[in-house]
Amino acid sequence: MSAAAIGSAELTALLPIVTLGTTAVVVLLWIAFRRNHAEAVWLTLGGLSATLLALAPAAGTGPRDVTGLLRIDGYALFFIALFCLAAIIVVLLARDYLRERAEQPEEFYLLLLTSLLGASVLAASTHFASFFLGLETLSISLFPLIAYATRDARALEAATKYLVLSGVASGFLLFGMALVYAETGSLAFGGTAPAATAVLQAGAVLILVGVGFKLSFFPFHLWTADVYQGAPAPVTALLATVSKGAVFAVLLRYGVDAPLARLPMSETVLGTLAGASMLIGNLAALAQHNLKRLLAYSSIAHMGYLLLAVIAMQRIGPALAAETLGFYLAAYTLTTLAAFGVMTAMSPADREAEEIGDYAGLFWTRPAIALLLTLSLLSLAGIPLTAGFIGKFYLFIAASHAALWPLLGLFVVGSGLGLYYYLRVIFRMAASVGEGTAPGPSGALQVSLGTEAALAFLGLSIAVLGLLPASLIDFLAAEALR
Amino acid sequence: MNVDRVQVESLVPLAIYFLLVLGVVGVMLAIPRFVAQRRRSQARDEPFESGILSVGDTHLHLGVHFWPIAIFFVIFDLEAIFIFAWAVAVREVGWPGYLEMLVFVSVLLAALVYLWKLGALDWRTRRQQLQDSLLSERG
Amino acid sequence: MLVLLIAILAVGGLAAWYGERAGPDAPRWIALAAISLVGLLLLPYFGPAVSPTDGAWLSEIYATWIPRFGVGFHLALDGLSLALAVLTVLLGAAAVAASWTEIRDRVGFFHCNLLWTLAGVLGVFLAMDLFLFFVFWEAMIVPMALLIAIWGHEDRTAAAMKFFLFTQLSGLLMLLAMIGLVLLHHRNTGIFTFDYPVLLNAELDGDVARWLMLGFFVAFAVKLPAVPFHTWLPDAHTQAPTGGSVLLAGVLLKTGAYGLLRFVLPLFPEAAAAFAPVAQGLGVASILYGGWLAFGQDDMKRLIAYTSISHMGFVLVGVFAWNEQGIDGAVMTMLAHGISASALFMLAGGLQERIHTRDMRRMGRLWADVPRMGAIALFFSVAALGLPGLGNFVGEFLVLQGGYLVSPVITAIAALGLVVAPVYSLVLMQRVFQGTCLEPHRLSDCGGRELAAFGVLMLATLWLGLYPLPALTVAKWATAPVVELSYSGEDPPP
Repeated sequence: MSAAAIGSAELTALLPIVTLGTTAVVVLLWIAFRRNHAEAVWLTLGGLSATLLALAPAAGTGPRDVTGLLRIDGYALFFIALFCLAAIIVVLLARDYLRERAEQPEEFYLLLLTSLLGASVLAASTHFASFFLGLETLSISLFPLIAYATRDARALEAATKYLVLSGVASGFLLFGMALVYAETGSLAFGGTAPAATAVLQAGAVLILVGVGFKLSFFPFHLWTADVYQGAPAPVTALLATVSKGAVFAVLLRYGVDAPLARLPMSETVLGTLAGASMLIGNLAALAQHNLKRLLAYSSIAHMGYLLLAVIAMQRIGPALAAETLGFYLAAYTLTTLAAFGVMTAMSPADREAEEIGDYAGLFWTRPAIALLLTLSLLSLAGIPLTAGFIGKFYLFIAASHAALWPLLGLFVVGSGLGLYYYLRVIFRMAASVGEGTAPGPSGALQVSLGTEAALAFLGLSIAVLGLLPASLIDFLAAEALR
Repeated sequence: MNVDRVQVESLVPLAIYFLLVLGVVGVMLAIPRFVAQRRRSQARDEPFESGILSVGDTHLHLGVHFWPIAIFFVIFDLEAIFIFAWAVAVREVGWPGYLEMLVFVSVLLAALVYLWKLGALDWRTRRQQLQDSLLSERG
Repeated sequence: MLVLLIAILAVGGLAAWYGERAGPDAPRWIALAAISLVGLLLLPYFGPAVSPTDGAWLSEIYATWIPRFGVGFHLALDGLSLALAVLTVLLGAAAVAASWTEIRDRVGFFHCNLLWTLAGVLGVFLAMDLFLFFVFWEAMIVPMALLIAIWGHEDRTAAAMKFFLFTQLSGLLMLLAMIGLVLLHHRNTGIFTFDYPVLLNAELDGDVARWLMLGFFVAFAVKLPAVPFHTWLPDAHTQAPTGGSVLLAGVLLKTGAYGLLRFVLPLFPEAAAAFAPVAQGLGVASILYGGWLAFGQDDMKRLIAYTSISHMGFVLVGVFAWNEQGIDGAVMTMLAHGISASALFMLAGGLQERIHTRDMRRMGRLWADVPRMGAIALFFSVAALGLPGLGNFVGEFLVLQGGYLVSPVITAIAALGLVVAPVYSLVLMQRVFQGTCLEPHRLSDCGGRELAAFGVLMLATLWLGLYPLPALTVAKWATAPVVELSYSGEDPPP
């Protein structure tokens, strides 16, 4: 790796990431001198918007390798934009959520920004060093976030669990990287080895194990439900969308860049992970009465579905796979944010509305919120006229193109199971008020205009992406990985 | 591959040293087994202060102010490694490298300011802080 | 124009929901108005001014939707669609009428779901793009499932769930088959398209075609429903509110048969021809099994539900007989059964509203209390058993005639269905309206509103039975090309 000089073009390309970092530092200093919740929120929102604005000049520099660690291309910028959008929504949700619960809510936004920084680096990384740095920045920011607002023992338990398992996963990841480095002599993704030796294969598998922890594929999924349940709802939203999305983005990039990923065994390993995740995730979700745990298990299944795109990549080329991943993740991010957003808006100040029973009769007490949750659940189930359906359609196309028939069969079975538990929630919401314990609007959190705007935006975008997906699809097709 | 062999040979003393350490530790652990007296009593099996029954509550409230200080030390000390690395290559990287280092150090500085403002460098206990603030109000 | 048909229903649904604030009856009137408006808009297509030439659509609209995959917003109307669209409108109005007094809670949302279901069904009948078809196919399930889940009877959630799961899962198989078809076409020609007319010319290997055809067939067989995919139907029907049952029996089941005619036969002619004996076998099994189970039911709605399975078996036999008579008969049966089954469900619903039970063991001698309902029930029962002069007879007769040309054995067994039908129809009449009265009831007979609704349906049945030519002619505009296809592969049958 030569010490590539950084010129103005490189700086422009890095502008979004630099803006994020600067915002984090500014918020840090601001908190030090003026502890004010509203100001911290506005600063964060301003920084995130500036990051979004900085994407345009960065895109203008074209696909560009910066310092050998990062590649700023349409793929990376798309994911950075998606994460920023998700972060803005999380900020809006968290503002209401924290106002009642946290003594010092300001650091939340700081940690959010650093986690976003990690995610953005991940989306652009083409090198094991940036991969690991991004991942650690993201994870370490998430530990305190998970334990943030509540003085609840469960939150602490969740954070500890996540901390320990993340540490283990990072260990696996590093060991895998070291083994791969030992064979290829390069830390860049594109490093080649003369032969697929046992060490190389072991390295690839260990990397996969590390990533599998983060994405909670089947044998590595045990932390998911507890962490989802223990973390505050806005943090769970962040964890479920930005953290997983970033790791998936880098996984696909690794798969495209690294010849290693095309070892014959990797398809078998990935296929097994995907199939098992779909089945186990959906089966476990069937038994849940807690909406957060249900969504946790369903996320395991969704990650399994999404792995199809990575597997298919080896047969159909990176372009279609990246498109599929981009669209599915966009849809999944919006949908999941909507679900957790509803949960945030429904939660009274002393606890979270996480039992399915909390939502009984919601259609008749708060129809707009119920409609949004229904839309979000239908989108997760992949019913037409929602963004989730187009994502599923994309996956079907990619997987059929790659002729992954057994996995597609599991996909269909998984969808059926998934439908069952999503519908159960929807029907519960449609039940008459008398049939369950419906929390009146009085018990729920005072929702501010910001949260309402965020929720309305989510609902609209899920519907619009489901009805008129053409513009996003065209954009993704033009900007996809080559 | 010649280089590798040289390296391996130069590692031989290190390996011998490592084995010696293992041996010494093993011997030291083995000696009491043969020499020392053995007694069994209830108090001996207590993990805390073995041999002496503890009296009163063992959960003492210790001021842990040294703890954040230690953490700060480790953090800022670690960052120094980067500065060392830069110092080695200072001529090669030139002014851009200097700028990058400046950014790095100023971010560190910002963190320090934050911690300072947070009161993390305040060595007093909470009670002392309270007393001081009361005093200053009266004065 | 065609967009307008769907849009009116969709927007009408929203209006009905909001209209609830104006009063409990406002949603009903809004729903009726929207449905009638759609009916009026459909009328001009019957006029002589629009006489169809071969293979042309009566009306068509195309707009690109997702150019990346060649998905278009392609709606088109031909005779088959027109006939079924009219049926949809007619039964939609009947469903509104049937719910007039039954639904008292959340009237607005009920009619919203009802209209959205209708919009979805209409979309299914009009969509000429595979992707669009699938979207409507799935979209109509959601409001229908809500109708069952919210306004249904005792065990509504489980029934709605079963209905949703069966349709959705089979739908996913269909989606896979669609994508397989499109990808094959893409591989052969380099063009990505979901457009139905283009895909009609897709060249397929026999082996692949069989699998793809099966994907479509399963989806439609579930919806039809054919044995062994029928188990959702009795539950859904029994638990649904009357309006929901009317839509289910009258319209939703027909989308399955429509799909067979529109997609399975034309897209995969060889594979479908090879599969025909199996499909017909399933049809015969449905006829006999449905009839047999109907006979054993105590629950009135369940009985009618099983008769639906039996009748839709005739449709399956007719479609896969794949000749003029068979397909004409299938279309005729679809229309006639839609009307008669809906009317019977309305009767059952009306009775349940009055005596709060569907259990026929607790009924009897109701003729004495409600003679008008009894007469109406008699009319539709004999229609269901295939009395000549009424629509169902025409359909079933044509089906058997067509079936006989292809395989006399299957037809002979299917004809046994004509023996079973009178048994269960008359059992229904006997147990409900005759016999001994176990519990005395004081009931009010049909009012003017109910009489009007039943009257229209009776007239339609009579018209289909006595003068079926117009309906057949309209449908034939569309089915003639399908029939021709069957001769392309092999020698014309004698």
